[in-house]
Amino acid sequence: MADNNKYIVSAAPHLHKKDDSVSRIMWTVNAVLAPVALMAVFVFDWVALGVMLVSVLSALLTEAVIQRSRGQRVTISDGSAFMTGMLLAFNMPAHVPLWLPAVGSFFAIAIAKQAFGGLGHNIFNPALAGRAFLMAAWPQRMTTFTKPFAVDAVTQATPLMLLKDGKAAGLADMGLGYMDLLIGFRGGALGEVCALALVLGGAYLLARRIISWQTPVSFIVTAGAFGWAFGSPKGFFQGDFLFQVLSGGLLLGAIYMATDYVTSPITKRGQLVFGVGCGLLTGVIRRWGGYPEGVCYAILIMNGAVPLIDRFSQPRRYGVTRREKDGGSARRAS
Amino acid sequence: MDKIVAIIVGNILINNFILFKFLGLCPFLGVSKQTKPAASMGVAVIFVMVSSGAITWLVYRFLLIPFKVEYMTTVTFILVIAAFVQFIEMVILKMSPPLYRALGIYLPLITTNCAVLGVAVLNIGDFFKAGAPVAGSLPLSLLQAFCAGLGFMFMLLLMSGIRERLELADVPEAFEGLPVAFLTASLMGLAFMGFVGLKI
Amino acid sequence: MKRFWLEFAKGIIAENPIFFVVLGLCPALAVSTSMSNAIGMGIAATFVLVCSNVIIAMLRRMIPDKIRIPCFIVVIAAFVTIVEMVLKAYAPALDRSLGIYVPLIVVNCIILGRAEAFASKNPVLLSLADGLGMGLGFVLALLVIALFRETLGSGKLMGLSLSHQFEPAAIMVLAPGALLLMGLLLGGLRWIRSLRSS
Repeated sequence: MADNNKYIVSAAPHLHKKDDSVSRIMWTVNAVLAPVALMAVFVFDWVALGVMLVSVLSALLTEAVIQRSRGQRVTISDGSAFMTGMLLAFNMPAHVPLWLPAVGSFFAIAIAKQAFGGLGHNIFNPALAGRAFLMAAWPQRMTTFTKPFAVDAVTQATPLMLLKDGKAAGLADMGLGYMDLLIGFRGGALGEVCALALVLGGAYLLARRIISWQTPVSFIVTAGAFGWAFGSPKGFFQGDFLFQVLSGGLLLGAIYMATDYVTSPITKRGQLVFGVGCGLLTGVIRRWGGYPEGVCYAILIMNGAVPLIDRFSQPRRYGVTRREKDGGSARRAS
Repeated sequence: MDKIVAIIVGNILINNFILFKFLGLCPFLGVSKQTKPAASMGVAVIFVMVSSGAITWLVYRFLLIPFKVEYMTTVTFILVIAAFVQFIEMVILKMSPPLYRALGIYLPLITTNCAVLGVAVLNIGDFFKAGAPVAGSLPLSLLQAFCAGLGFMFMLLLMSGIRERLELADVPEAFEGLPVAFLTASLMGLAFMGFVGLKI
Repeated sequence: MKRFWLEFAKGIIAENPIFFVVLGLCPALAVSTSMSNAIGMGIAATFVLVCSNVIIAMLRRMIPDKIRIPCFIVVIAAFVTIVEMVLKAYAPALDRSLGIYVPLIVVNCIILGRAEAFASKNPVLLSLADGLGMGLGFVLALLVIALFRETLGSGKLMGLSLSHQFEPAAIMVLAPGALLLMGLLLGGLRWIRSLRSS
C-alpha cells in the first residue's frame, strides 16, 4: 500500500465536501437557531437573552480554558461550543438565576465533551447532558416555567405538565389551539415555544443536506404515534398526534439534537433505529414516567446505545456472506 | 400484577443494580471493555443470580427460619453462593469445555460480585415479613433475581459498546481508562434518571 | 518494628484501596452520602478487615491451599455477622442508613483481597498493621468522598447546615453524582501524581 498517508483515521464527524468544514456547518446551524432565539426573547422578554448569553459565554470560556490547559489549539471559533450553549439555553425555563445556565454549560463542555476527548469523541450530546445534570441537581429551578408575555415572572404549567397531572385531557381543556403551540403562545423552555421557527429551520437544514431526514422523521412520527395510541386518559388510540408533536421539546430534540453527527449513528439504517428508539422512549416517559417530558432522557439513553447500533448496522463487506459453515471468510463481529 | 411490573421496571430501569445501587461495580468496570466478554459475563451473572437466589431462598425458608438462626443469613448465604459457583464451574468444565472457555473464567469473579449476595439479601427483605414468606415469595424472588441480572447485563453491554469506542478517543491522559469509565457511568445514570417515577 | 509502620502506612496513601487500587467501591459510593455514614461504614469494615487479617494470619499454615478462599470467606463472614449484630443492638439508626451494605462487607473485595494477598502469607503482627493501614485508607477515602457529597449535595456538614445562600446540587447525593465525583477524583489524583513525577 503505497499511499498510507492518504488514509486519514479520525472519529466522527466525517465530512466529505470540501467547502463544508465543521465550522461552516456549525455556524449554519447556529444561524438557523437565531430565529428561534428571537422568538424566545419575544415571548419571554429580555431575561431569555440573559440566559442564552450566559450559557454561550460559559461554554466558550470553559472550552477555551480546557483546550489551553491541555496544550491544544483553542477551537471555540468552530461554533460547536456556541451551539452547545445555545441548545442548553433552549432547554431551560426563562426565569432562572444566571448561575444555572453557567454551571450547566460548564458541565456540558468540561465533562460531557472535553473529558471524553473533545469534538468528535463525546458519546453523549453535551447540551442534553448539561440539561440532565441541571435537572438532577436543581429540579425545582428547572421545572418552574413562567407565563409567556407576562410582565413579571408568573409561574404557569406547560401543556405537557397539565396533561401529566391530569389537569387537562387535551388542548381544549387548556384553552389552547394548535396555532398557539405552533407560534409560541404557551409556556415551556426557551427553545420549545415556537414550533414554526423550529420546523422552518429544520426544513432549511434538510434542504442544505446538513441533516438527513431519517432520525428526525422516525423520531417525531414514533413519538407522535405512541402518544396517539397511549396518550389519552380516555382510552387507546384517542390521543392527539399533533399535540404530542408540537408540544414540549420534541421538535427541538428531534431536529437539532438527535441529529448531532457525533452522537448519532453513522448509517442510515442505524439512524432510523435511533429515531424510533428515541420516539419510543419519549412516548413511554411522557405517558408513564414521573416527568412530563422525556425527550432529553430518550436521546441521552439512545446516545449510549449508538456504539452498539453502529456495530450491528455495519454495511456488509462486498463478497462476504454472513456466516459460512466451513469457517471460511465469515464476517466476524469484532 | 402491579408488583410484577414494579419488580421488572424497578430492577432494570429505575433502581438499576449497577447505576443506582452500585452492586456489581467492580466486575462492571473490569469486564466492560469489550462486548463479547461482556455478553458472556452478563449471561453467567444472570444464571448465578437466579440459581443462587433460589437456593438461598430455600435455605432461609427451610433452614434458617425453623431453627431461628436468621442472624446466620450472611454467613450461610455467602457460603452457599461460593459453593454453588465452585460446583457449577466444575460441572461446566467437565460437560462443555467450549462453554467453560466462554463463561467459566468469569464464575470465580461472580462470587465476590456484590450483586449476587445483594439480590439474595434484598429478596429476604422484600419478600419475607415477620419471619414468614409473603404470597408468591419464591416466584417473586426469582423474578427479582432475573431482572436484576438482566439490568446488570444490559448496562454491561451498553458500557462495553461505549468503552470500545472510547479506546479511539482523545481522552485526557489522566482520565484514560477508569476515570472516564466512571464519568460515562455517571452520564448513563443521568440518562436513566428519566425513568424516575415510572408507573405502568 | 519499622516493618510494622511501613506496612501500616502503605494502605493510607500509596496503595489506598479506593483511590489507587480501586477496590471495594460498592459501599464507598453507596454510603458516602453523609460523613456520619461514611465513618460508620469505615469503622465497621476496618474492624472486619483487621480481625480477619489477624485470624487468617494465625491460621495461615493450617489452611489447606485448595479450599483457602471458602475458609477466608467463613472467617470474614463470622466477623461481619458480629458487626451486624452489634450495629443492630447499639446503633440501629446507623444500621438502617447503611442498609444492605453491612452484610455486603463480606464480599468487599478489599477484605478478601488483603486476606489472599497478604494475611495468608505474613505473620500476625504485620497482618495487623496491613489491616489497620488499609482500613484507615478506606475510611479516609470514604470521608473525602462523603465530604464532597454531603456539602455539595445537601449543604450540610455532619448534619449541620452550612450557608443559606448556597443551593445544594441534589445530584451529588444521588448515584450519578457519586459516579461523577469518583471519576473526577480518580482523574484528578492521577493528574496530580503525573505532575509530581515529571
